[in-house]
Amino acid sequence: MYRFEHVYQGVLQDINFTIEKRDKVILFGPSGAGKSTLLFLLNRLNDPEKGEIYYNDQPIEDHPITQLRKKVGLVLQAPNLFPGTVWDNIKYGPSLFGEWEDHQGKELLEYVQLPSDYLNRDVEQLSGGEKQRVSLARTLANSPEVLLLDEPTSALDYRTAEEIEEVLENLIEEHKLTMLMVTHDLNQARRLGSRGLFLSEGRVAEDGEIPEMFDQPNSKELIKFLEQ
Amino acid sequence: MEPEISNQSLFFLIIFVIVPLALSYYYQLGVSKNVLWSTLRGTIQLFAIGYILTFLFDLPAKYGIPFMLTVMIIIATFHARQKGKELPHVGLILFAGLVVIELGVLGLWLVFDMIQFKPSEVIPMSGMVIGNSMTAMGLALERMKNEFKENNGRLLASLSLGAEPKQASHLIIQRTLHASLIPNVDRLKTIGLVQLPGMMTGLILGGVSPVMAIKYQLVISLSIFSSVSLSAMFITLCMYRYFFNKNKQLLQTAEEISSSHS
Repeated sequence: MYRFEHVYQGVLQDINFTIEKRDKVILFGPSGAGKSTLLFLLNRLNDPEKGEIYYNDQPIEDHPITQLRKKVGLVLQAPNLFPGTVWDNIKYGPSLFGEWEDHQGKELLEYVQLPSDYLNRDVEQLSGGEKQRVSLARTLANSPEVLLLDEPTSALDYRTAEEIEEVLENLIEEHKLTMLMVTHDLNQARRLGSRGLFLSEGRVAEDGEIPEMFDQPNSKELIKFLEQ
Repeated sequence: MEPEISNQSLFFLIIFVIVPLALSYYYQLGVSKNVLWSTLRGTIQLFAIGYILTFLFDLPAKYGIPFMLTVMIIIATFHARQKGKELPHVGLILFAGLVVIELGVLGLWLVFDMIQFKPSEVIPMSGMVIGNSMTAMGLALERMKNEFKENNGRLLASLSLGAEPKQASHLIIQRTLHASLIPNVDRLKTIGLVQLPGMMTGLILGGVSPVMAIKYQLVISLSIFSSVSLSAMFITLCMYRYFFNKNKQLLQTAEEISSSHS
């Protein structure tokens, strides 16, 4: 699905890896290792300074950019909802492409386990966890193939984070999504990921299966990281 | 009767300067030097412009008006540019905007016979339009930059959902224009109730009847209202695109903006 060949961008140096369809990849590593930068390259919110990224075997820049972003959904740490109601937010993406149908509203809220009477609520009235669910529903409304998650639960309390995790797990299975998630929470990584990419100082220091790479790390960088 | 203030009377204006000076001294505000310098500078500037205007008003309209309008627009451009000098082509766009707005307003005044093509009428009236447009453009630039900074996450979310830069910036354009227009609307609502506008006061002091003074005031107030709205809209709609590169990616720093559009 994705192929990185000698990619450089900011702190990232000579990044090479492949992601297959339906992989559940956890990007982790110390702060400043380039995790978010890498995530932004996948839906072209940023471009590499050097190297090539392939998406579905075609150079990523050959895909029309807005269509690519529609297929590659992104959920950030903060929900970043638009002012207005839940309805206004979740129809935003499909409306850009003239694809919104009203019946989708309730379905999307069901996916993220919110009651349907939330559709007309002002987003300002929602709790942190509810906002993040709306943000997920907004991304799902575009029917993406890939879901990029940049620490989606790090601003939430433990219990809410677990609820969101459960929602994510179901969504990824039900919609057969490919997932790339940045997280600092290694327990969450164990629960949601099947493959890990450990970034250290802008390089992929280790690429392996989860949980094996946590239990038997190979690189000294990962061993040191896990000890901390 | 022409209003007259003798030089002797003018001298006693110094009392109005002594008050803030005394306050500054008593409370050790440390602004005495500034008060004196501003007063001196303001007085010299006003007298200088008085003599320049006298000279210009005596010139034939076809030379005096274009000359003074050009000078005013150039100064206004440089001043407003300070608020967004890191943005590419901002000077040129400000200049073009001010020229178009001033010519449009002046054209309407002349076509509908609101004023005559005389330096003594066109220059002060245009000065008010250009000055207010300059402030509106500067404020809109500043506000837009802040909105881009504050709404960084929302912009990224919007772009990541497939929005074009124009669609992603919709909220920012809306907020910038709203912030630029609201004080203007409020000012118009209370006009004449809280204070008599400067131009009207001047005309009444000059011996013009209050009703005639109001007519002039309406011309200038509505002209300013319209030109300020247009200025804010013009600069916002022209400049928001410079916050994105050709790949519809958000540029987040001044360096990124200038290197991407150089």
